[in-house]
Amino acid sequence: MSAPFFCATGIVKRFGGVVALDGVTFDLRAGEIHALCGENGAGKSTLIKVIGGVYAADTFEGVLSVDGAPARFRSVRDAERAGIAVVHQELALVDGMTVAENVFLGDEPRRGALVDWDRMFREASQLFAHFRIDVDVQAPISALGVGRKQLVEIVRALRRKSRVLVLDEPTAALADHEVTALLDILRDLRRSGVACVYISHKLDEVFAIADRITVLRDGRSVATLDAKATSVPEVIRHMVGREIREFFPRRPTAAGKALLRVEGLDVAADAKGPVVLHDVSFEVRAGEVVGIGGLMGAGRTELAMHLFGAWGHRRRGAVFVEGRPADARTPRAAMLAGMVLISEDRKRYGLVLDQSIAFNLSLSIVERFAPHLLIDEAQERRAVTPLFESLRIKARDLDTRARALSGGNQQKVVLGKGLILEPKVVLLDEPTRGIDVAAKVEVYELVNRLTEEGKAVVLISSELPELMGMSDRILVLHEGALTGAFERSSATPEKILAAAMGQGRSRAGDREAALAAALSETPSLHEN
Amino acid sequence: MPSRLSARDFSIVIALVVIAAFFALRSPAFLGPRNLTMLVIELSITAVLALGMLLVIIPGEIDLSVGSGVGLLGGIASVLVFERQWPAPPAMAAVAIVGVLVWLAMGALIVKQRVPSFIITLGGLLVFKGLHWLVIRNATVPVAPGGTTNLFALLTTYYLPPAYGLVLVTAVVAALVIAQIRTRHRREALGVRVDEREMAQLKLLTVGQGMLLFVLVANRYRGLPLTAVILGTVAWAVTVLLRDTPFGRHLYAIGGNQEAAILSGIAVDRTVITAFGAMGAIVALTGLLQTAYAGSSTTTVGSLMELDAVAACVIGGTSLKGGRGTVLGVMFGALIMATLLNGMTLLAVSPELKFIARGVVLALAVWMDVRMGRT
Repeated sequence: MSAPFFCATGIVKRFGGVVALDGVTFDLRAGEIHALCGENGAGKSTLIKVIGGVYAADTFEGVLSVDGAPARFRSVRDAERAGIAVVHQELALVDGMTVAENVFLGDEPRRGALVDWDRMFREASQLFAHFRIDVDVQAPISALGVGRKQLVEIVRALRRKSRVLVLDEPTAALADHEVTALLDILRDLRRSGVACVYISHKLDEVFAIADRITVLRDGRSVATLDAKATSVPEVIRHMVGREIREFFPRRPTAAGKALLRVEGLDVAADAKGPVVLHDVSFEVRAGEVVGIGGLMGAGRTELAMHLFGAWGHRRRGAVFVEGRPADARTPRAAMLAGMVLISEDRKRYGLVLDQSIAFNLSLSIVERFAPHLLIDEAQERRAVTPLFESLRIKARDLDTRARALSGGNQQKVVLGKGLILEPKVVLLDEPTRGIDVAAKVEVYELVNRLTEEGKAVVLISSELPELMGMSDRILVLHEGALTGAFERSSATPEKILAAAMGQGRSRAGDREAALAAALSETPSLHEN
Repeated sequence: MPSRLSARDFSIVIALVVIAAFFALRSPAFLGPRNLTMLVIELSITAVLALGMLLVIIPGEIDLSVGSGVGLLGGIASVLVFERQWPAPPAMAAVAIVGVLVWLAMGALIVKQRVPSFIITLGGLLVFKGLHWLVIRNATVPVAPGGTTNLFALLTTYYLPPAYGLVLVTAVVAALVIAQIRTRHRREALGVRVDEREMAQLKLLTVGQGMLLFVLVANRYRGLPLTAVILGTVAWAVTVLLRDTPFGRHLYAIGGNQEAAILSGIAVDRTVITAFGAMGAIVALTGLLQTAYAGSSTTTVGSLMELDAVAACVIGGTSLKGGRGTVLGVMFGALIMATLLNGMTLLAVSPELKFIARGVVLALAVWMDVRMGRT
């Protein structure tokens, strides 16, 4: 193993009185993938902003060095010149432009004062061909799914022949097969000598690909571990400072009568569009968690949104809650029927960030506190305070703005906002996306509580360990149709993936084998 | 909605004091009872319209048609009263109904047909202007037949007798103080975060003192203008609507995050259409006030008032993206715009310079807002 060529030593970064980084030391060797792990707020994002030149050299303490010489980046440009490319969590692509334009944004090939379009498209195609990614570079970026956009973003970063590639949660929005493709690209890069900083909440991915793992906690680098010589529990212990024994603490409850019954749903995006969900039927009983797996774009979110009356045009089929028809056309109707939806993108669909926790918690039912036109604050407080306490939302008080909360606590507010309706059926769409380990466990505990109270839970998850760890039964969607149903005891990652890829379909076979292979070298969380 | 005084609230007050001091130094008449009364009447008209605009901007929409609407609805009322010899009250009621219906229709177009409000109301601006000129046939139509007066004209020419005004304002200030103390106690008991005590007192003191001081000054002229009472009523109503009703909460939620509002079961379409309906009522009221203030409906009545209303909102800290804005802020914003216009008129500043000065103040205010918002 070569010696480090990039070092960050004793980095301290303060925002006013808040210390975001409190002495971080971190180094990179050529041709290694170095994972950065830590709970939300541990300082990962701040660290990569320091490395990437977002924070100018004189705004933090400590030393960055490249090839043994101190490096003082005054801007992102400086860092890029030194060969450091950062792909941030939020995609920075211009929707109205083509793939090629996005790749060359700000650095377009020119002929004189004009853009040389032919060269731009040619060079872009060559780039994607080099990384074996099949994308039409003349297609508008808006035509691409999230996963492909992410790949475009990475190709853009790699275009400058960077020596260091920093990826912040690159797989948060990717389905499993896209993750596999991404990891393959990273392995190629490793062979060609690029050093990669890889930030992810998904420890199975980290262990699948990383050579070394540095754990941050409370702004400090607490450990740098050799991936082969450590284990998931050890990393988690460093992250949280204590051991989480039961990562998926599902306590199955005796299932009661059917609360949600879905019969033969055919749903299209709109009145004219093609059918997206085909003949979907299932039922969920009281006290039961039914997991729904599938690849990105398989129709999981669409199914949840449709049940909740927020998406799609139904061609056929029926929905029943407690045996009563619940064909909701609006979220309001779905709520009245006894359903709530906790959506995957809490900032977009869940919260009014500029308003207080109390405002958000009571948003769906604020009319109930206004018997005579005016809102009775006392009633409102009485209703939201127990939720605030039982969900253990970490905030000064109910008047704290939602924006000021961490991801995990925002998610708790979104959950509380649904639970205040006292639903029969809870639809959870990726309820733990992007939140830290401790908050995840709290969400899982909440799922247990809900089933103990006799509610029916539908859990949509892209993370197999979570899906398998928390569901009593697992259904798998593939291209809008149910292709698999497994009991908790008989579910295996291989079976679920096979169903998610559409069993027996063309070209699924070899991909499936590849995925199974990739997974077998991946220690899965819930086995530990 | 806990409202806190922030640095930017002070910046508005400071800007206001600077502007007023400048005019007072340049023209002693600026602080005279007559001019201050006129200033408050002008403020009231601008502020009433701006408060309507607030209802539309909070859910993230905009209404550019209100200036033309003011002209049109005031013109219709004038024609009904002066040419058709209607008594004033039914003419005013008719105009209010027309305003609400037309604005509900615009709201429905915006929401149901998904045409941006900017476009629909820009169309409204032109259509209403044309209709206004048609209705009054490009003539000057007085608000009351010659030599007589009516309720319409009295909207801006009636003054409460000095004793009544004093009693009314004292009662209002007392009511505000009592309401504040009671709300404060109730909220503290509930654990709701409240303003710092000093801040709350300062805010109340400023508003209460301003009101009392004004009535004393106005009594040296003709007394408390009815227009000011109307503004007070509208301001109170909009405050309650935004702060204490589910409708108000929903407006903030829609402006703050429309998708979240939909998934929270809020009837977004109906709420936004209702906001436009309320805007229609306020446009009708402003149309009556502005036309009464001008004495008659002419082609220029209401011209560019939409910009003053938007400016007052923005100066007062309302976010054009929606989700943020308060009544008190808008009142200060309107006060700045009205003071500026009144002072410049008093100094006989040329119309060209007036436009330029108003534009610069608007840009400066927003720039300051952005600067402070970043820190």
